[in-house]
Amino acid sequence: MRRAVFYVVLALAAVAFLYPFLWMAATTFKSPAEVGGLSLLPDQLTLDNYRLMWARAPFGRALFNSLFVATTITLSVLVFGSAAAYALARLSFPGRRVLNTVTVAVLLVPAQLTLIPMYTLIVQLGWVDSYAALIAPFAFNATAILILRQFFLQVPRSLMDAARLDGMGELRILFTVFWPLAKAPLAMVGILTFMGAWNEVLWPLLVVRDEQLMTLPQLLTVFSLGGGAGPRALATKLAAAMVLVVPVVVAYTFLQRFFIESLASTGIKG
Amino acid sequence: MASVSFEHVRKDFGTATVVRDFDLEVADGELVVLVGGSGCGKSTILRMLAGLESVTSGIVRIGEREVTHLPPRERDVAMVFQDYALYPHLTARGNISLGLRLRKVPKAEIDRRVRWAAEILELQPLLDRKPKQMSGGQRQRIAMGRAMVREPAVFLFDEPLSNLDAHLRGQMRHEIARMQQRVGTTALYVTHDQMEAMTLGDRLVVLDGGRIRQVGRPIDVYEAPANKFVAGFIGTPPMNFLEGRLERERDDLAFVSDVLRIPLAAERCPGPSAESGEAVTLGVRPEDLTLADAPAPATLHGQLILAEVLGATTHLHVEVGGRRLIAAVPSGPAPAPGAAVNLSSDPHRLHLFAADGSSLLQDSHDA
Repeated sequence: MRRAVFYVVLALAAVAFLYPFLWMAATTFKSPAEVGGLSLLPDQLTLDNYRLMWARAPFGRALFNSLFVATTITLSVLVFGSAAAYALARLSFPGRRVLNTVTVAVLLVPAQLTLIPMYTLIVQLGWVDSYAALIAPFAFNATAILILRQFFLQVPRSLMDAARLDGMGELRILFTVFWPLAKAPLAMVGILTFMGAWNEVLWPLLVVRDEQLMTLPQLLTVFSLGGGAGPRALATKLAAAMVLVVPVVVAYTFLQRFFIESLASTGIKG
Repeated sequence: MASVSFEHVRKDFGTATVVRDFDLEVADGELVVLVGGSGCGKSTILRMLAGLESVTSGIVRIGEREVTHLPPRERDVAMVFQDYALYPHLTARGNISLGLRLRKVPKAEIDRRVRWAAEILELQPLLDRKPKQMSGGQRQRIAMGRAMVREPAVFLFDEPLSNLDAHLRGQMRHEIARMQQRVGTTALYVTHDQMEAMTLGDRLVVLDGGRIRQVGRPIDVYEAPANKFVAGFIGTPPMNFLEGRLERERDDLAFVSDVLRIPLAAERCPGPSAESGEAVTLGVRPEDLTLADAPAPATLHGQLILAEVLGATTHLHVEVGGRRLIAAVPSGPAPAPGAAVNLSSDPHRLHLFAADGSSLLQDSHDA
């Protein structure tokens, strides 16, 4: 009985979370006459909203921009973040403790506080309306460094010693010994970074005005603000929102095993 | 293969000195065991030879080549670690061959060496398994295979059997000895286990506080410990010690304490510098004590506290004059705990140590 009640509560919670998303997905396939309804099944299935969305703004280009920017940022955070984490965790050099402290301190500074200085810097570098402006500020991430450092600290010293005796240098140790061991934390950092970069709106709005360089959420925001009113416009905006959401949902579906593993992992076994 | 030499090697960690003035020559093909308690510096010495730890001062050579400041990959050494240090994401074959692949050894040669190591260590059924699919003993054999295929100048073993259970430890000890004899490579082996130290090494190096306390063949170190530390460290159960003094009786010397007066056999007498009245420590190994039927002038009288039957041998814990002595006697009918017992010792098997701990016997040599 208690189990049944538990499942009912879970089901209600799931409906509360899922229904808005399912309604949004369903509405993108509805005709304007049906848009206001709460039904999840359209009477008449149509792709007009997607066609209209695609015709009215360069969403294809924005999709490419978002994919390119988010992927580049993710790879950069993984490569540079793990290299920094490896150095902070496993190499001895003067100033290591200070650098560790500074890395933690960076987390304490709200992102909004650095927006203006960063913008000024981008302007002075002449990077406005460029991919560099979208990528560079997010290519290094203190949270990623701290997560990976914590994992790298758990890798047995003897494994590094064995790798050194086998003839590996530090970079090879990082990428051929530590990376395979750190699949779970790397996946977690990768997913979080990709999602953060994918959903970023404020920064692209500041540094990109050229429609051809806009990312998907940025274009969606611009489109939503100026896309008109009425059921057709609403359905078209929701179609654009779906294009934004689907890649992240698909990526998460494939990578969630690593994501959960990394949250549950306690160290290296066996 | 190559010889190894340490010349006045010292290692400091911050303000702590963990290895002091370490001098050692290891001959080509020799297996030398470094033995000592925790923190005596034995693993640090091995790591300095491997290049995994810097040398504060002194010189390390492998063969004729000075390697003091060379990185590990340029030293031509292979190491077997206590926790195996296998790459978890690689199969046994991948683990064994990785070092060769990184050195760009031709594939046919890699295959030949992997087959050779697999044959010696009986690894064939394990080659396609990952470490997590293997037992501790199997993992350690893979780690040994990884070291063997490199065909290094020197093998280094850092407590390789410490993580194994007693049965497997005995088996692996035998395998290491067999492997080293077969390939004949110079080897340094670090352990705190006396059984490994006594059975594996051509020579033992006993360390304490970062210093060598004695170097010699295992049996020599056991029979003629150079000092009280070595005497107490080598041997299980440890040597029994009695504080006392020397007394001259006409031309002979005797050891005298509150619980024992025993004349010293001629070959166990200290050198001519020993004086009557000098404070000394008498050492007697548990296996050199026997149960005596009746009290006699040179026997120890005490009370049996505990009898540990180990099979062929029984360890008798006897309280004598407020101190506990252990006698290792053949198992058989033994007195009940609490009974009065008499222990006699063979005067030809006694050890004498001066107040500074050095052996007073003329055939013992300090390092």
